[in-house]
Amino acid sequence: MTDTRIPGKTYYEIGQRPQEITLKVDGAKPLHRHRLPFTRRHLLKWRSRLNPKTLRQERMLADKKPLWWTLALGLLLVSAPFLSNSALTVAAVFCMFSAINVLWTLIIGTAGIFSLATLAVVGVGAYASAALNVYLGLPWPLMFVAGGVAGLVMGALLALPSTRLDGLYYALLTMGVAEICRVFVQQLKPLTPMNGSINNVQGFIPADWALQRPGLLLGFAGAFVLLLLALLTFRIVNSERLGMLLQTAREEEAYAEAIGIDYRRARMQVFLISSAGLGVTGAFYAQYFGSISPQVFSLDQLMVLFAMIVIGGLGRAEGAVIGTALVVLIDKGLLDLGPLRILLVAAIMLAVTLTTNNGLTGIREQFRGFRRRRQSEARARRTEKGGEVMPEEAIDINDKQAIYYRRFDKRLRDRLKALVTPDVIEEHRQKPLGQHSDALSRLLNYFRRGEVADKYAIIRQAGNFHSYKIVAFSGVRGAPPRLVDDRIYTDINEAYHAVFLLRVNDLMES
Amino acid sequence: MVDVLKIEGLTAGYGPLRVLHDISFKVAEGERVGLVGLNGHGKTTLFRAVSSQVGWQSGSILLMGNEVGGTRSTGPGRRTPAIVRAGLAMAPQGDAIFPGLTVAQHLDCGAYTPEAWRERKRRREMVFDIFPPLRKLEHALVGRLSGGERRMVSVGRALMVEARLYLIDEPSLGLAPKISASVIEALFSLPKDGRAMVIAEQNVALLSGRVDRMVGMHAGRLRGDVGHVSLH
Amino acid sequence: MDMSTLLIYGLSLAAIYGLMAIGISLLWSSIGMINMAHGASFAVAGYAAFSVAELAKPLILATLGKSFAGTVAMAGLCLSAGALTGAMMGALIYLLAFLPIHDKPNFAVRSLIVTLAINLATVQLLLWFFGPKQRNLPKIFGLGKVEFLGLSARYDQIGTILGTAVILGLLLFWLKVSRKGLEIRAMMQNPEGAVLSGISVRWTALPVTMLTGALAGLAAVLLSQSIFVSPTSGAMPLIKGLTISLLGGLGSVPGAVFGAVIIGFLEAVIGAVPWLGQRYVLFGTFLFIIAVLVIRPRGIGGLLDKARK
Repeated sequence: MTDTRIPGKTYYEIGQRPQEITLKVDGAKPLHRHRLPFTRRHLLKWRSRLNPKTLRQERMLADKKPLWWTLALGLLLVSAPFLSNSALTVAAVFCMFSAINVLWTLIIGTAGIFSLATLAVVGVGAYASAALNVYLGLPWPLMFVAGGVAGLVMGALLALPSTRLDGLYYALLTMGVAEICRVFVQQLKPLTPMNGSINNVQGFIPADWALQRPGLLLGFAGAFVLLLLALLTFRIVNSERLGMLLQTAREEEAYAEAIGIDYRRARMQVFLISSAGLGVTGAFYAQYFGSISPQVFSLDQLMVLFAMIVIGGLGRAEGAVIGTALVVLIDKGLLDLGPLRILLVAAIMLAVTLTTNNGLTGIREQFRGFRRRRQSEARARRTEKGGEVMPEEAIDINDKQAIYYRRFDKRLRDRLKALVTPDVIEEHRQKPLGQHSDALSRLLNYFRRGEVADKYAIIRQAGNFHSYKIVAFSGVRGAPPRLVDDRIYTDINEAYHAVFLLRVNDLMES
Repeated sequence: MVDVLKIEGLTAGYGPLRVLHDISFKVAEGERVGLVGLNGHGKTTLFRAVSSQVGWQSGSILLMGNEVGGTRSTGPGRRTPAIVRAGLAMAPQGDAIFPGLTVAQHLDCGAYTPEAWRERKRRREMVFDIFPPLRKLEHALVGRLSGGERRMVSVGRALMVEARLYLIDEPSLGLAPKISASVIEALFSLPKDGRAMVIAEQNVALLSGRVDRMVGMHAGRLRGDVGHVSLH
Repeated sequence: MDMSTLLIYGLSLAAIYGLMAIGISLLWSSIGMINMAHGASFAVAGYAAFSVAELAKPLILATLGKSFAGTVAMAGLCLSAGALTGAMMGALIYLLAFLPIHDKPNFAVRSLIVTLAINLATVQLLLWFFGPKQRNLPKIFGLGKVEFLGLSARYDQIGTILGTAVILGLLLFWLKVSRKGLEIRAMMQNPEGAVLSGISVRWTALPVTMLTGALAGLAAVLLSQSIFVSPTSGAMPLIKGLTISLLGGLGSVPGAVFGAVIIGFLEAVIGAVPWLGQRYVLFGTFLFIIAVLVIRPRGIGGLLDKARK
């Protein structure tokens, strides 16, 4: 197809997204879309549409998130071997906390259970697997299983009250659970002789590699795999069947129940799945650090973790990861700042919560909502009923004929308004039917041609011959006309004139 | 005579929806105005715009000569208490009531000026005189009352202070005809001295003959006096 | 431990928990905010009382000496410093966590997050200025014991119990008879009806936050008679206060008082039982609260049960 633009003439991009990157579609080739092996899922969400302006078929990526994910995670992976030892530790901690936060997001966002016992579950998984490893010599691959089982049990215990309690009640209650765990672990003298902590945990990092370069690299690789697994879990749970069910239930629980969605059961399942995941993360935590201390249950640690998902945005995986990156960078990366770090984190948390509705990842949506609201308010203020089409409205209307008709109609009405004078009204009052002056004929012609919706009509009252009321048509077949007012006219000419006045009123006000 | 309420060029709506179109409206002292119109044509929105509770609004609203309108697009309800204190009493559609308070406490809530608060007992008695069924329910929880009694409490709350302008929204909505008639009856038994009242009502028959003037509302515009269709 | 000691101990615990829990409950019931910075108010007020006491000690010793009047002056100073600082913290919480977001979406969760951030920042600032060292407040009720009807109690326990009883009595009375108290209840039940009754949410919330802050400050001074002041000393009272207000049914002031008494005695009893001991106190009370909440999700009070919606 040739470009029809005239050279030298300035063209302006219009429309909502003129900068959108689109690919051309070769109409001759058959459409072929790659699927993920053994599933019916596509890797990327391609969408084709006909561009009404260029009349060309074009293809665009409807969801660009996978690209950003690949880019960010790929960068992290590629840059890891070049990082210093301390930066490598920070990266590994980031991956680990991200995994925890992604699984937590599953609980808060997808399941909609406002649980603050995440670290308690992680800690229980870590303690169970570490104790089994140290005292019973459980090999490290099985530690993950043990951690997962411990997390599952802990999750099941926590899930019980969540069915009964309201959101905030449950959140506050679970805050206490971590405290219970801390005290409980410190009381278990035979298991935790060192003031509540278990040391010398053998993990996937060989003992003689510990704190060496290869050990750090291996640790980072493990944490990275953990993060990938957590993201995969998030993807599978959140955007497949369970997530869909819960998304329906989130808006209106009673409605979801009425159409047969057992949202409580789905919530429990999500809760249990992510609890098991958190337990596995706990086992990893114990292996990575080679020890586990009651510090994991402390309120401060929980608050820092909560700050991460809050800054990123509750309920989104990318929010959890971005928030974690920011806070871990400040908390572990800027060690020179001392106590200022936590102040900085608190300040960011404060600023983000006060200004955004849902964290950093929600900014885009919030801004769009704000812009849409402003646009529509401004449009609503300017648009007269039945008036001319505003430019920004015009790009939303596909049928360009309608735009021209409304413009024509507006001009016609402006002209007719000038014709309405007391003389014309008096003329109609005198003689509603019959030969009229030019101005009145024009007016009446315009009224006759009006749309059926809201058109006025005279209805004769049943049983009484000379008794009329004015109605307005609904414009919908089958829907009865509505009564304009209760006034009864005993003279048909009077009724004609009343209808005329109503129409003139409408014309003058439009 | 002073205009208690003088609205000029009021446009208001919620989000993209424009409900009121350039309304101009005046209520003089001592006047009782009926605002009639079908559901969804903007009667309630007009009241809410006067009390600054709609999504956005622009145009001038003079309450006793004080500007309470203006252009505003955020924070519905933020200026409402100040407007109420400037002399507006509004009984909203449905029941804006406090289910956990007793009838007496509920009425006390309406007494927001220090004088009214000091003599709240006397004023409660006055309300009980207007709505006799409430007297024996003085210490009952509002949440346990019947629909009609709640409406009486809701309207009674608006009567606890000497407001200059009363906006009563749909006093008959959802009530049995007999009860709604008695509520309306009680409203009209109030003394006229210096106060003005606007009653929004779908049931024209309840108001006809009792109000000084009836204004129709249609599709967000005022329609002059019903029954006298004219060019303004 | 015999019964009388148990009774006094339980009551003094109940008094302090009650002060915290009522602050949290009141704030939730009036403006729908869970105040996680209540513990921060507690700690800051403790430090303020400590600093004022340190500053004033030479002065009081010089003028009044070690007399009864000196102790009274010290007590007044500490209590008023604590209450004032608490109220100022309350005002800060109002400015940061209420005013900017109270009519925005998600207010409950967002205010919770903001107060959490305030808590985090305050604890760090306290650590920065005062260091992690624990401080000791002067014994404002003096040292000693009193025997009464076969009960033996320390001065500070009696002072705590009586002081709290007086404060709570005054507070409940004020809530009952004043217009502000009525406004607070009205605001919780129906915000739209409240604004139409001339009740400004913004201007009613300020006194409430300041009042609850002052309660936390008083609790800090009273509790610091038996424990030390430290930057993190607010965490435990905060958790206790939160769970007790949950037990009482968030928003119900009588429920919070009742819950505090139950938990105070429960702690005293668990601590006294030989085979449980002090270390299972927390465990036992939490299990109790969870059990109660699972059976009665709205807690003891259940404000909403009384009336149909």
